[in-house]
Amino acid sequence: MNLRLSDLSACFEGVIPSIIATASADGMPNISYLSHVMRVDEEHVALSNQFFAKTAANVRANPKITLILVDGFTGDQFLLDIGFVRSVDGGALFDKIARQLKASSAQVGMSDVMRLRSADVFRVYGIEKVLSPVETAPAMATRPPVRLPALSEAIKVIEQQAEADEIIDSLLGGVQSVLGYGNALVLIRDNHRGCLITTGSIGYERSGLGSEVAGSEGLIGAATTSGQTIKVSDMSRVRRFGEAIGLEAEGAENTSRTVAFPQLPTAMSQIAVPMTAGGTVMGVLFIESAERLAFREEDEAALEILAGQAASALRASEREAAAAELRPAVRMPEPVVSGQEVRVVHHRFDDSVFVDGTYIVKGVAGALLRLMLEWHLSDGRSEFTNREMRLAAGPRMPEIKDNLETRLLLLRRRLEEKQARMRLVRAGRGRVRMEAEGPLILDATVGDYR
Amino acid sequence: MRLDDRLLDFFNRPLMCIIAVADETRRPSAGRGVGFHLLEDGETIDVIFSAWQWPRLEPCVRQTGRIAVTFVSPSDYVSFQLKGTATMRDTETPDLDRADRFMTAATDELESLGVPRRLIAPWLTARDARVARLAISEIYIQTPGPLAGMLAGEQSAAKS
Repeated sequence: MNLRLSDLSACFEGVIPSIIATASADGMPNISYLSHVMRVDEEHVALSNQFFAKTAANVRANPKITLILVDGFTGDQFLLDIGFVRSVDGGALFDKIARQLKASSAQVGMSDVMRLRSADVFRVYGIEKVLSPVETAPAMATRPPVRLPALSEAIKVIEQQAEADEIIDSLLGGVQSVLGYGNALVLIRDNHRGCLITTGSIGYERSGLGSEVAGSEGLIGAATTSGQTIKVSDMSRVRRFGEAIGLEAEGAENTSRTVAFPQLPTAMSQIAVPMTAGGTVMGVLFIESAERLAFREEDEAALEILAGQAASALRASEREAAAAELRPAVRMPEPVVSGQEVRVVHHRFDDSVFVDGTYIVKGVAGALLRLMLEWHLSDGRSEFTNREMRLAAGPRMPEIKDNLETRLLLLRRRLEEKQARMRLVRAGRGRVRMEAEGPLILDATVGDYR
Repeated sequence: MRLDDRLLDFFNRPLMCIIAVADETRRPSAGRGVGFHLLEDGETIDVIFSAWQWPRLEPCVRQTGRIAVTFVSPSDYVSFQLKGTATMRDTETPDLDRADRFMTAATDELESLGVPRRLIAPWLTARDARVARLAISEIYIQTPGPLAGMLAGEQSAAKS
């Protein structure tokens, strides 16, 4: 059987170190481990030029090289005869290698140490499977390939949604139905606070809605800043992402004003897929799995298609909502609400809001709730258009012109999740209605820095 | 080149071993070692490998008589590369015992570091065990970091 490089995809995950054998001009061999081998195409591999001086010198003096690659899934070994072609220190291929190096360095906690200066490209002349003393598991045979009709169906479902919550839910539904992953999050970028906020969640014991990831932290931050999918295929050697904040109990939310990032304690693989529309990263689709090497090349491609579709739909939803708000919200006779007062506290310094002493949300979503409450208390109305919120909050938070819908969604979902005695409901395209189980009281002075 | 005390300590740890040889056309080949034995002189090491799994190693040693062997401690990546001339010697019963001990220690160590046992099993076999006797002429630190590539060991009296 003739092996092709594409048959060896699980060898390029950086899970099990590869081995490089070279020989000097006078024929003295040299052997060392190699952290990163990348497949360029069917005939070429690239090695990040992090290896030792002797290897680098030998490669130039004698272009004949042998690699041992190890399938990170089965343990199968392959001997590759390769020949040095050229070095690259810039351009698209170099950038691709640099990104992969960064991602896979994260697996061994060395992402800060490894900085790529150049990479060497090699032609592959032969691939030979090394005999194994044991029967190895069939390579990646445990899961069927991605079904294109199912992917196409999931794309259509996302495309048909008009509202942010439906779009995010159908994205997560697609992740589940097309690829079978059970633990996934959608994080939406908040440029105002320089972070990403969990706005959709499936499969976790605690949803983590409202939890935040710093804009440059871990896989999610790296996917956001690079605009590239980044994954870890074997977490056994990695510090658990979000470990520190994950330990906070839910009860600590009220004092820390921080929602704990959801955790899958048994996660072995993680992937962060940027949600990009019009060249802008709007958020990240983040998935975890208890399987090693859970994200194959084709899974990655399918996730990128789903995430891209959702990002486009979210952007279109914002635009349509802005355009649909022509009819201003008018003061309607409001039924008198009886019952115990619902007390909302807003802290302007971080725009955090508490309802009846329970932390709900902070940032833009918190500011929007205060705005609606102020209007409610001054005008007596409970229905608000996104347009008036954009106009009122825009000067202080210019970025809401692009993601007001997702902020309102986050606010609505957190109110539901915390079983607050007030909630937001959609009242048609581009407008929301605030409902409460008692007269609303706004306390906007506590902790106010201004 | 002689193994110093630091190296002798190193060889008491659970290790993995990789081997490179080259043929007459300077084409290198590679394989894994599954055991070793340090000789009393501190300048010679026997390296055991499977000729069944790595059939290119023995012919190259017989052709060119040169070999490079890197040992790594999987828990902290501390690595040393030994180079020199090599000859093949007959495999004896104690070599098989050494290979067994080496493979057991390496498997346990890797497993304790989170590598599943079923993944390790394809890498380590002593089937058709062969022994290359390496007269060490160079020792290099190969631990990733600032000392990588530096010479280690001590010059033996005869050579200095």
